[in-house]
Amino acid sequence: MSAQFRPTDVVDFIVVGIGAAGGVVAKELSTAGFRVVALEQGPWRHEKDFQHDEVTVMYRAGLTNDPKKQPNTFRKTAADPAKTQQAVEYGCMVGGGSVHFTTNYWRFHPEDFHERSTLGPIPGADLQDWPIAYDDLEPYYTKAEWDLGISGLGGSNPFDGPRTKPYPLPPMPVKSTGVLFERAAKQLGWHPFPAPLAVLSQPYRGGVACVHCGFCESFGCEVGAKSSTLAALIPVAVKTGRCEVRPNSYARKIETRKDGRVTGVIYFDAQKREIFQRAKAVVVCANGAETPRLLLMSKSNRFPQGLANSNGNVGKYLMFDNGAFAFGLFDHPLNEYKSVVVTRVLHDFYRSDPKRGFYGGGGIDGRFDYYPAGFALTGMPSDIPQWGAEWKRTFAQYYTHMGGALGHTSCLAVEQNNIALDNQVKDAWGLPALRVTFKNHPDDMKAMQFILDRQMELLHTAGAKKVWVDPTTNVETTYSRHLMGSCRMGNDPRSSVVNRWNRAHDVPNLFLVDGSSLVTSGRQQPTATIQALAYRTADYLQQAAKRNEI
Amino acid sequence: MNVTRRDWMLAAACWTEVLRAQSQASAKFAWFEPATATEIEAIAAQIIPDDDTPGAKAAGVIWFIDRALADYDQDKRQLYRDGLAATQAKRAELYPGSTSIAALQPDQQIALLKAIEKNDFFQQLRTHTVLGFLGHPMHGGNRNQVGWKLIGLDHQMQYQPPFGYYDAEAARGGKK
Repeated sequence: MSAQFRPTDVVDFIVVGIGAAGGVVAKELSTAGFRVVALEQGPWRHEKDFQHDEVTVMYRAGLTNDPKKQPNTFRKTAADPAKTQQAVEYGCMVGGGSVHFTTNYWRFHPEDFHERSTLGPIPGADLQDWPIAYDDLEPYYTKAEWDLGISGLGGSNPFDGPRTKPYPLPPMPVKSTGVLFERAAKQLGWHPFPAPLAVLSQPYRGGVACVHCGFCESFGCEVGAKSSTLAALIPVAVKTGRCEVRPNSYARKIETRKDGRVTGVIYFDAQKREIFQRAKAVVVCANGAETPRLLLMSKSNRFPQGLANSNGNVGKYLMFDNGAFAFGLFDHPLNEYKSVVVTRVLHDFYRSDPKRGFYGGGGIDGRFDYYPAGFALTGMPSDIPQWGAEWKRTFAQYYTHMGGALGHTSCLAVEQNNIALDNQVKDAWGLPALRVTFKNHPDDMKAMQFILDRQMELLHTAGAKKVWVDPTTNVETTYSRHLMGSCRMGNDPRSSVVNRWNRAHDVPNLFLVDGSSLVTSGRQQPTATIQALAYRTADYLQQAAKRNEI
Repeated sequence: MNVTRRDWMLAAACWTEVLRAQSQASAKFAWFEPATATEIEAIAAQIIPDDDTPGAKAAGVIWFIDRALADYDQDKRQLYRDGLAATQAKRAELYPGSTSIAALQPDQQIALLKAIEKNDFFQQLRTHTVLGFLGHPMHGGNRNQVGWKLIGLDHQMQYQPPFGYYDAEAARGGKK
């Protein structure tokens, strides 16, 4: 029986955004006995709503933020005019990005947490250590893997940090890309390993095993075998009778009182009626773009620059999703349209190596995740015509014979890259649009190229008879699905937004946990780290609430 | 007159054709004027030609585009109006005396489209044509899954390993 609270009820916690992080927080707090209201922008979809429909999902932004209702503006630098152009994409539904993500579930490496100490400062960037170490997060990585149901082979990645438990489920069956990737990587002396994935390879805690339908990337799972918070955690939260999920609820402002504590959240319901829900504390998990936007919209006399923003750092140090895709055409059919996206990964070039002359590195995975129309429209090599008989023959012959390798590369934190409000453009609720300012640090581009060269080497070694690069990647990033770093963690209240427990430095009963907390980008694939942080924050909230320290 | 079984079957076959033609003719566009649809379809059929394998016409791409413009792509209507008008002007310039895009010879159609292939209208029509050819049939295109069949996508709700040649080979211990 789902809980139902009145706006005047002072619940224990409001969670804004019940996605990858918010789903964890809502489940952990409600099962621990706290009363939780979760506000979610998007609708509450269920397995029956997820279909193999590329038109709706890919062309019409069926599961993501709708650029028609939620426009954003983009510019590379403050000197450029901001143009209305979609720059951020996120899962807009109960379960958020955990519903439609590819399911790569990489832990960050121990060195990710102290790169500033080991590498020193990087000119033109603001590389910082995290206020926590890998060992602080390890128990929560493990908790996430076991709570959600992650498939993989513990210990198979020689570059991973130590782990206290293996994965709860064995890896998914290897696909043809995985076989070719592994063979080539070993020939090159590299260390491929089975992909850790948020997919059930076997039945787990009431969830059914993956049926290999092939619609993971960007889609919701129609059988519930993707280990999203929607499938694995939110039903548990609802069942406690202490968690009320309110879909189609668009947060406008976090309200504060004179002493600077937050008192609740003002939001628009599905009919665009304004409602004020009261709470003892607020946890914002709205992602690395919407979390800073909500704080910046929550201005008051006490917080004239926006909430938790006395140092002006809210929205700054935004980090994006970097990496390029390389296509490989093979003699025999791979049929990559079947089953999960990735089955083999390598982290040999993950660590930053000063000898290369630039910061960063990347992980590489074997995949070909193009749906049919997307492949014909954007995947064809540029040396053939892009419409007509020859093009048709080519995409028809290539589709089943394609493999590929995707690079996931580092993104440096740069102060000028940020999320701000654009008062010239309004969303469908009359609120200022997100304005994104983002230009890659030169080392981002060098890392992307370095990793792309390794991807090409791998595909050639695997015996691809033709190799080419997606022309839309390996250029400066202007669009991202990984939204990181915009309210980063730190010990110093002058240079960070939240402390080591994800509590806002400025506001004792306000917590932020999602991609915005990340101090460095790792090598992308941030979901596991975001969820580990969410488990850690939820654990802290329970302890602190019991001690009356919130 | 003796009506043989063969005659009857031929007649029945003809009737089936007539009925099919009637049902096609009576199917109404939600947005297009029929004359406009003929022109758009002629372009779509050069983007993905019906040659030795099915193309845009066989897949019913025009019906996909019609539904898109009637429903979720209403903001693209003006692009179609303006784009088609500009394409007609280009046709008249390149082929004086011609009456329509559909009536041009195939090589003339290709030459016309090469002249406009960089513009927003052509790019949008290319996107729509591909979505109508390879998107889910629920949207009115990809009839009888002709697009998916052409590219070798055997659409099922679930599969079992092995999925492709190389994982099957590996499962056999590397034997061809």
